[in-house]
Amino acid sequence: MNKHSTEPALMSLVAVAKAIADRKFSSREVTQSCLNRIAEWQPRLNAFMAIEAESALAAADAADAALARGNSHGVLHGVPLAHKDMYYDAGKVVTCGSKIRRDFVATTTSTALQRLKDAGTVRSGSLQMVEFAYGPTGHNPHYGAVHNPWNVDHITGGSSSGSGSAVAARLTFAALGSDTGGSIRMPAHFCGVTGLKTTVGRVSRAGAMPLSQSLDTVGPLARTVEDCALLTGLMAGADPEDLTASTKPVPDYMAATRGSLKGLKIGVPTAFYVDDLDAEVARVLDETIATLKKEGAEIVKVELPDQRQLTAACQLVLATEAAAFHKRWLIERPQDYGAQVLMRLQNGLAIPAVSYLEAMRWRGPALAAWLAAVAGTDAVLAPVAPMPAPTIAESDVGNSIDAEAVIQRVTKFTRPINYLGLPSLSIPTGFTRAGLPVGMQLVGRAFDEAMLIRIGAAFQRTTDYHQRVPELS
Amino acid sequence: MTKPGPREVMAITTTAGVPVDNEAASRIANSIGPAFDGFAAIAGTLPFDLEPASYLLVQNAEVSK
Repeated sequence: MNKHSTEPALMSLVAVAKAIADRKFSSREVTQSCLNRIAEWQPRLNAFMAIEAESALAAADAADAALARGNSHGVLHGVPLAHKDMYYDAGKVVTCGSKIRRDFVATTTSTALQRLKDAGTVRSGSLQMVEFAYGPTGHNPHYGAVHNPWNVDHITGGSSSGSGSAVAARLTFAALGSDTGGSIRMPAHFCGVTGLKTTVGRVSRAGAMPLSQSLDTVGPLARTVEDCALLTGLMAGADPEDLTASTKPVPDYMAATRGSLKGLKIGVPTAFYVDDLDAEVARVLDETIATLKKEGAEIVKVELPDQRQLTAACQLVLATEAAAFHKRWLIERPQDYGAQVLMRLQNGLAIPAVSYLEAMRWRGPALAAWLAAVAGTDAVLAPVAPMPAPTIAESDVGNSIDAEAVIQRVTKFTRPINYLGLPSLSIPTGFTRAGLPVGMQLVGRAFDEAMLIRIGAAFQRTTDYHQRVPELS
Repeated sequence: MTKPGPREVMAITTTAGVPVDNEAASRIANSIGPAFDGFAAIAGTLPFDLEPASYLLVQNAEVSK
């Protein structure tokens, strides 16, 4: 029996939850297994903002005692998790990756987090992130860069940098991220894990640090599509604390994981998402298409409207809304921001209100045009980014004159989807010859996460990229 | 749509109550310029009756394959 088969931390979320429920492992054994890996990996990765070993083990013991009495709190009873440090958890410090909120103690608990707690999860700590979730690389001038477990010289992607790194290294079974311009899909792609950017409004944002009220989405990063399906099903749905959360019924996402690809049509764009790709990303895209075909999907070409306009509109909306949220601190504490985040927040100050509102007014027609272009397909397949994870050194551009160009290139394929507010599932689909993961995104119709889950789960039944585990060198 | 240059950026940020210096204004103008360029074909062309809330109508419409 190899090491992997006996280490609970290496199981999927769904599998470990079942193992605890079936008393094959205690919550303490599982939690200790994760803590052991955290102790090994944290010095290399810097993925955790706070490690709460003592309280996690105490909570695990309480979960075990409850289960011994026949009291299960839910489908995730006793499962230890850590999340991006922007989800308010009453009584806990929530830094938002910033110096400004270094000592901020939340007085409420975010709805998404509370729903996972209600399902029985145990808190093992909090995860690193880009300052105020405003950056796609994973650099953080206050708490240091987060490192990619596949090669620690490379970035994780951001802004859910700790979530991507920790899930990939099997330090947590899953983690909440947030996606405003690509911040779930980017770390999922660069770190080789599965990430679901939900439809705008599918999961409540109450108690989640805001960046852009029109674009922010809450979603999971996990090892498998099935894990993401379980978590999204628990979190999604109406919330009296967030009236922008949709009242649409929440489908049975776990049932969707059992569907096949037969009879499905998957669109592949003829331009933009296939232009200027790194050769290895292009190769993985071709291989992914071949696998989907082999499993019964029909691949069709789709001609999309000009995606550069969507990217531009996204930037106008994101920059303006972020600047508005931060205006008080921009006046009172500009010196407490990192250089790049300060520059990007200042960008929003210079966008006239009419330009912002034009970008908001165009959102409906832009979405209608996308839907018309993809009519007849069940989802669109595209790379998450044109390249695999860059090195930390080459992407550490701070507030230099080239900074925005670097950010634009990394987020080229994610921002249009944020502007449209559509769901997008990033799945591991291959590796470069140098051993870096490559992911692809499946983009669906609004509130049709179930279709993406169906396709992604079917893909993972026939591939093993999501099961590969980085080794501590 | 005309993208703001450094001088316009200084004026707008001052009006917004968060003035920036010359260097920052140049950096901001350089950063946001591509967004204005990219949106130029749309800016000033939208029909009168188009509400931002039209997005929710499209998003929530039942769309079949």
